[in-house]
Order: sequence, then C-alpha cells, then structure tokens
Amino acid sequence: MTGSQLLLLAVALPLLASLVAPVAARVMGAKVGWLLASVFVPTLMLFTDVESVRSGTALEARVDWVSGIGLAFAFRADGFSLLFASIIAAVGLLIFVYAASYLGPGERHGRFFSYLLIFAGAMLGLVLADNLIALFAFWELTSISSFLLIGFWGARKASQDGALKALVITVLGGLALLVAVVLLILIGGDTRLSALDLAAIKASPLFVPLVVLLLIAAFTKSAQIPFYLWLPTAMEAPTPVSAYLHSATMVKAGIVLIAKMGFLFEVAPFSQVVLYVGLATMFWGAYLALRQNDLKALLAYSTISQLGLLTALYGAGHPFAATAHLINHAVFKAALFMAVGIIDHSAGSRDIGALSGLWRKLPFTTVLAVPAALSMAGLPPFGGFISKELFFEEMLHEGTLPTLIAVSGSIMTFAYSLRFLRVFFGRFRCENPGVHEASLPFLAPLIPLSVAVILFGLFPWDATIATWFTDLAAGSLGYEGESLYLWHGLGLGLALSVLTWFSGTALHLIRDHFVAMQTRLTPGWNANTVYYQLLAGLEHLALWLTNFTQGATFATHLRLIWGALALAGLGVASHAIFPRPGPVPLSMAIVGLLIVASVTGVLLARTRFSALIFMGLAGFGSTLVFVLLRAPDLALTQLLIEVVTVILFLSVFRFLPVLKRYSRPAPVALIDGIISLGVAFTVFVALVMVQVPLAPRIKDYFLAFSKELGGGYNVVNVILVDFRGYDTMGEITVLAIVAVTVLALIRLRFKRSQAGHEENRGER
Amino acid sequence: MAILLPLLVAVLIGAGVYLVLSRALIRLIIGLSMIAYGANLSILLAGAGTAQDAPPLLNTQGPYNDPLPQALILTAIVIGFGTTALLLVLSVRAYQATRTDHVQELVERLDPLEAPDAYADPERPSVSPEVGPDVEGTR
Repeated sequence: MTGSQLLLLAVALPLLASLVAPVAARVMGAKVGWLLASVFVPTLMLFTDVESVRSGTALEARVDWVSGIGLAFAFRADGFSLLFASIIAAVGLLIFVYAASYLGPGERHGRFFSYLLIFAGAMLGLVLADNLIALFAFWELTSISSFLLIGFWGARKASQDGALKALVITVLGGLALLVAVVLLILIGGDTRLSALDLAAIKASPLFVPLVVLLLIAAFTKSAQIPFYLWLPTAMEAPTPVSAYLHSATMVKAGIVLIAKMGFLFEVAPFSQVVLYVGLATMFWGAYLALRQNDLKALLAYSTISQLGLLTALYGAGHPFAATAHLINHAVFKAALFMAVGIIDHSAGSRDIGALSGLWRKLPFTTVLAVPAALSMAGLPPFGGFISKELFFEEMLHEGTLPTLIAVSGSIMTFAYSLRFLRVFFGRFRCENPGVHEASLPFLAPLIPLSVAVILFGLFPWDATIATWFTDLAAGSLGYEGESLYLWHGLGLGLALSVLTWFSGTALHLIRDHFVAMQTRLTPGWNANTVYYQLLAGLEHLALWLTNFTQGATFATHLRLIWGALALAGLGVASHAIFPRPGPVPLSMAIVGLLIVASVTGVLLARTRFSALIFMGLAGFGSTLVFVLLRAPDLALTQLLIEVVTVILFLSVFRFLPVLKRYSRPAPVALIDGIISLGVAFTVFVALVMVQVPLAPRIKDYFLAFSKELGGGYNVVNVILVDFRGYDTMGEITVLAIVAVTVLALIRLRFKRSQAGHEENRGER
Repeated sequence: MAILLPLLVAVLIGAGVYLVLSRALIRLIIGLSMIAYGANLSILLAGAGTAQDAPPLLNTQGPYNDPLPQALILTAIVIGFGTTALLLVLSVRAYQATRTDHVQELVERLDPLEAPDAYADPERPSVSPEVGPDVEGTR
C-alpha cells in the first residue's frame, strides 16, 4: 500500500467504522472499544514514510469531489500534520481501550463509539487536510460530534446546557472560519492550503478582516479568553471524551490553525494580540483552576490555562517550544483525565475535599498519575519541566510583562498540581467503603502515557523520542531543529523555574486564604452570566422579530408583505416606459366607469347587502372587459360564477355577521391606505411594462392542432379538456374537496359552551 | 386602452388590499374576490395585451387572440370561486362558534370556541385594545 493510499485510509477508516460500530457494539458490548482502537493503525503506519517527510517531502493524497469548483478531499501530511495526527491516533487508541472499561454495561455503547469515531475521523481529516473547504468541513464535524459526545448523557440538564454552549460557541467560530476560508481562496487564488499566494494575501486590503476571522475561529475552538467558558461545562461529557476531545485533541484544533497559518500572524500587531490573549488565558485559567473542588473541573481550567500557553508560544513565533509543550501536554493531560475517571469510578466522587490518601487503595493509579501531575507542575525530571523552561526562556525574549504573567501563571499551575496530588496522599479519606483499584484493562492505557512522561523528561536529547518528535514538525513550521535538554545550564530560565516551585508550594500551603480572597474579589457577574444574558437577549429579539413580522397580527403580517411589494413597485417605476395614452373606445370607457363606481361602492358600503351588490357589479364589470377583449369563454364563466357566488352569499346571508365598521385608528387607516395605493401603483407599473405577447409558437401550436388533435373549434376549451387535461382534473379535484368541506362545515354541530348562543345556531 | 386597463386592474387590487387589511371577516372575503378579479384581468393583459383580434374560435375568421392566457384564467376563475365559497362557509361557522367576526380577535382567543365573556383571565382582553369599544353595528 502506498503512502497516499494509507493517508486516505487513515481519515476514512474511523468514519467508515462509525457506521459499523453500533452493530458491533450490539454483539460485543463495551469491549468493542478494543476492536475499534485498531482504526488508528493506518495513521500510525504513516510513520513508515517518516524519513521522507522529515527530509521535506510531504505525503499527499487527493480524491476529487467537485473538481469544477476546486472541491476535493486533498490531504497532505507534512511534519507537523503527521506529528499531530500521530498524537490523535496514539491518544485515541488508548482512549478507546480505556472507554471499553469505563462505560458501564447499561450504556449505549454503539452510539458512544460511533460518535467518538466520527470525531476521530474528523479530527484526523482536519489536521491532514490540504483543501481549505475540506478543512472547514472537518472543523465543523468536530464541533458537531463534540456536541453529541458532551450531550451523551442527554437526560441531564447540565449535559444539555454544556453541549449547547459548546456548540453555540464553536459554531460561531466555525462561521468565522467559513468566511475566512472563502476570503483565503478568493485572495490566495487556490483552494489548497499549501499553494496559497502569500504575497497576494498580505497585500490585500482584506488581510486584516481575514486574520481577525481566523483568530476568532482559533480562539473559540481553543477556549481562549473570552470564549473559554464552554470548556468547563463540556466536562459533563463522559470522562474518556473529556480526556480525548477536551484535553488532547479538539481544543488544540485552534492551536493547529494558528500554527499552520502562522505565516499570517507573524505580522505585527497580530503576533502581539495572540501572545497576550494566550498569556491572559494562561493566567486566568490557572487562577480559576485553583478555586475548583472538582477534580475534573480543576483539569478543565488547567486545560484552558495550558491552551493559553500554547497559543502564546505559537502566536509569538516560538513554534519549537510550543510543539515541545504540545506533545507534553497531550500526554500528561490525557493521563490525568484517565486517572480522574478511575477515581470517579472507584471512589464514587471527584470532590477534592472529600478524598485523600487514595494511594492506599489505588496504588497503581497513584504511581501512574503522579508523574503526569508533576509534569503538569513543571518539575524535573519530567517532560513538562523541559517545555516549561523553554516557555520561560522565550517569554524572557518577549519582555518583562510576558515573563511576569508567565511566572505568576506557572506558580498557580504548580499550586493546583499539588492540590490535585493531595487526593492521593495524606490521611485516608473516602466516603465510599467499596473503593478499590481498577482492573488491568482500565489501568493499561495510562501506562504508556506515564512512561512517555518520564521518558520525555529523562531522555529528551538527540535522536530520542521527545527531540525526535519535536523536530518532526521543524520543516513544516519553519524552525531549526534544536535539541531538548533536561539541563539547560544555570540561567534565568532555571532561576524562574526554581522560583515557581517554591512560590507554588507556598501558595498551595496558604491556598485557603488565597481562595477566600478570590471569593471576595469575584464580582456578581462572570463570562457565564454574560453568555446567558446574551442568549436570552437573542431569544427575545428572535421572538420579537417573529411576532412583529409574522405572528402578532394577521394584518401586520400582510402589511409587511404588501408594503414590500409597494416599495418594489416604486423601485422599478423609474425604469418603466409608459405608452402614449391612445384613444379609448366608448364601450371601454363605460365599463371602466362601471368598475370604478362599483369599487367605490364596495369601499363605502355600510351594509352586507349593498357590499354584496357592489361586489357583483365589479364582477360584472370584469365580465364586460373579457367580452371587449374577445374572450367569450371567460365572460361566460365569470358571469356564471358571479351568479353562483351571489346565490351562495344569499343562502348564508342570515347567518352572516352584520357588516360592522371596526374603525381603524387614523394612523393605521392612513398606513393601510398608503399600502393599498402602493400596491395598486406596483400592479399598474408592472402591467404597463409587461404587456408583451407570449412567444407565438405556443399560440400557433394550439391554434394549428386544436382541431386535428383535440377535435374542437373552441381552442380554449380544447386546451382545458385535452392539451392540459391533467390540470383540469386537478382543478376538479380541488373543487370536489372544497364541496365536501363546505358540506361538512354546514353539517358540523359545534360544541356549545353557553346556552345563550342557541338562537344563533346555524343548523336547520 | 394600454393605460386604462392596467389602471382598472390597479383600482380593483388596491381596493381589495385595503379591504383585506380591515378587521371584519366579510370585508376580507369581499377584498379577496376583488383581488381575484384584478388578478384574472392582469393575466389577460400580461399574456395577450389589449389585442382585439378574433376570439380563438376556429370556425370564425382569424387572426385569433392568444388562447393560452384565456385557458389559464378560466382555471383561475373557477379556483377563485372555490376559495371564496370555502372561506365564506368557514367564516359563517367561525362566527357562529365564536360570536365574533373580528379577525384579530379570532387569532388572539385562547380557545376560539369559548365565548369572550367566559374568559377566566381578566388580564387578557378578548378584543385587541387598539379597536376599543366604539363598534357601531348596522344592518
């Protein structure tokens, strides 16, 4: 199998498997996760071509969809894409194994794995896509599958809220991305990301809006300030989902976008914007993480903080340090989430206040989780220390303020990492008497992650895993392959690290006071209240608009439609060519007078009877017009119908309400009058403009073949009963339905709520 | 003629629009009929203009008027009658059941079959306030 076939398979296999998963789950139950983990094998097999990718030749594959508009599933695995795809695949494989143990027997396994596979396929497609439209499609698919996964336990109110919030915010970013993608294609002149004309994009006047839209997309997806609020509530998802989507993969889609489009953000002031948004998010996430009492919530805010760190590094143009931390974060955060899932499962609680000393009952989980937590804290000899040190060094290049934010954020990170660890140590406390160590299959996925955390720290240098992986992205992100070292030498970076450890420990010790101060500082509102107020406002606006335009009153609804029609008439009036008024035959003048007089009569009528008479007269007038315009069939039919209508009116006359004059308030009457005049004007203009005979071939056809094919001299009749016989049959059907309905209405006996209405009953 | 006929159609339709915007059911029905008259004439005008050739009867001497718009209008006249008939009977029924011929009130009633004075909630007016009590009835 060639590399490009493998590339297509890597994306397609999870998506195809999502169709099979429900069936397989019916047979195997939750254990189907072990089988489904194999869908990631093609992605990992891409590494057989890794040497050519490292040397700069990207793997490419392409399946045309609509070639005319440049729509194709084009994939391109350069170093960075391959690196990220392998993270998705490796963590995904472990998550599937983990989920097989996590999900209880009563859950809907098929649906769960199906959603998760859709997500995995979409995520792989997103990082590997080279076609911008495909990239957008996969981006949206990750939002939608994330919605389904967060709302997996949809019976819970909190799940619904979390799923909806995530969808609203990430789809908002998706819309921004859609516009940005369209702009990129229009300005950059190609649908392929790798073939965009960078010079043209940077020179374009739309460059600034383009970058802003891309940033909105990236910030919403990667939970940056002010869009971060969807991530904590997304923790309502089952823990495997949180571990996969909301730590290692989906939330990094925005980071991927920033990294891949880095060439656009390099320009000042955008790199500064990205840097400070990232740093602010890093600080704020850590600040809020410190307050949490739920292990999962702590990790959620920690993820926001770490995403801020990554955003800052990529945005400020330090892809080497960013990529190193990207790998580290994916590994330790996935491990920590899995550990929390195990604690939740066996201790029945995630409350930090209610749990401690768990190492006595959960020794293996403790051994596997501690390195990950220390890596998050940034302690040697774990991977997180190395990338945190790189982070400090890069921030020192950026200036004093970034360094200050970075260090204070890291101090809080250190403190909440210690707080996380507290559940394992100290006096044993757990309310669930049945707390027990997890089974081997449940624990197994943590083992490779914890091993990686240690290996990345102990052996980071040349040609070993961490450096090797980090260098993989070097070519595509345009940085020099450097080496990672555990020992960076005695420098300011190390000094800041040491400062972080001691201050973080101190902060942990005085945490209660710190949290009390946080509580005092908390204002009555936060991002969430603003979100709900905006949402409520939007609902009110929608309700008002709907009611105003089509709900509130029947007449208003019509006024809007007819008002628009009247405006349209005014709009085209200037283009109208009015014919010279020709001589009018006396007969037509009389008919015209008749119609105008009867219309006036209808408008002024005070009683039902006179209104009816004038209406009949108007109908009679239009009959005469038909006569004058040489349409005898129409005249006959109109006359007949007029008679029948009057009979109908008279037969129900005694049941009709009297003609009340519901006086309209003067302004309303004025508006209605203006609208009526406007509509009349539009009709007039339109009729003056379109008096063009139809194409004569239709007319000639009917005239020529009426006798031969239809056997009749009256062409109108032949058209109705022969040429367009089906139309007439439909019309007869409609009339039959009307007749049945009228009969039913007349015979129907109404429920009477009050006897006082008896005298007005219509039944005979 | 090329000006007069469009003018007549405009008069018919404009009056129809004004009547349909009124609140009494009967005016609404009459208004729809007026619009239908206007619409039928406008099909003829738009399709065949004001040509005054012979009617499309092959046993007379040509040239003939275009038969197609006439066929279309014939259908429209009949369907228009069906609409009017249905609407008329429906209005009579609605009036009998609800004791109102006020269009907006029919929309606003919580339960249309409930008489207005049977409302339990005095906060909810059975007649929209813009109309007020100044309803003068004549026969």
